[in-house]
Amino acid sequence: MAVKAFSNEWAKEFKDEVNSSSVYKTAAKGWKWTVGLVVEAEPDKNFPESKGIVMDLFDGDARDVTVGPASDAQKCDFVITAPYTRWKEVATKQLDATRGMLQGKLKLKGDLPTIVRYTKASQEMTECTTRVAVEWPDET
Amino acid sequence: MARRDVKAEAVEPKLVEYADEEPSAFAAMLGGLIEANVSGRDEKKRDFKSLVARVGIFVTDIDEGVTLDFKAGKLTVHNGLRPRRTMTIRADADTVMNLSNLKIGLFGLPVYYDGVGRGIAAKLLTGKLKIDGLLPNVMTLNTVTRIFSVQ
Repeated sequence: MAVKAFSNEWAKEFKDEVNSSSVYKTAAKGWKWTVGLVVEAEPDKNFPESKGIVMDLFDGDARDVTVGPASDAQKCDFVITAPYTRWKEVATKQLDATRGMLQGKLKLKGDLPTIVRYTKASQEMTECTTRVAVEWPDET
Repeated sequence: MARRDVKAEAVEPKLVEYADEEPSAFAAMLGGLIEANVSGRDEKKRDFKSLVARVGIFVTDIDEGVTLDFKAGKLTVHNGLRPRRTMTIRADADTVMNLSNLKIGLFGLPVYYDGVGRGIAAKLLTGKLKIDGLLPNVMTLNTVTRIFSVQ
């Protein structure tokens, strides 16, 4: 059953997807930093308020994924920021996250060598988002 | 006459500069990556100080490139491919990112026999990774790879 985009239910399903991925578990061995995703508001897409997704990731496990205000996500060790439409493109495989970052469509803050070292883990995490069935606010 | 103690402040020169007023996201990312790598590791700093070359990197699937102008301890990053390049690397975004994940082995040579290395070598053999100017500049490529590598 589809869950509302970037809701608490979505966070739970996303966390379960990450934790059931053996690819992620292997690729993210040694990762010990928090990651924040800032989903910027787009009122004309029925997404009126920015949201922050805080991911507590440790050594190949997603210990917690929560949805709250954008300011929470901005405090994480790594922060990726993009408007709602861009995140939807990533989650529906219309935009590759690596390409998005190189093009500046997704803005990354954090230690670059570390994130590059874990490219495979971040790609698999993106794959996990595509496996969650989502009800998009601009399609309802 | 009163003497004033003047402390000489050691100002670290900027390692990386951007030629364009608004560096592209790709230029900023590569420049930031190299700066972080070189600042944090003495062996990379030595390579950086010795390297004089103009290296183009073109990402085929986003149709965007940069030119890295290494001048013995200073790097200027240009948006786009600029003329008079020593070599030019052309590959898709994933391969370009993977170049940074090449391990450096014995004698400072990139490791092409592990998973990442084999993937890069296969792309080179199948033409998905192209390096113009490779043959006369193999040593330069090795130095660039060492500076670029996050491993």
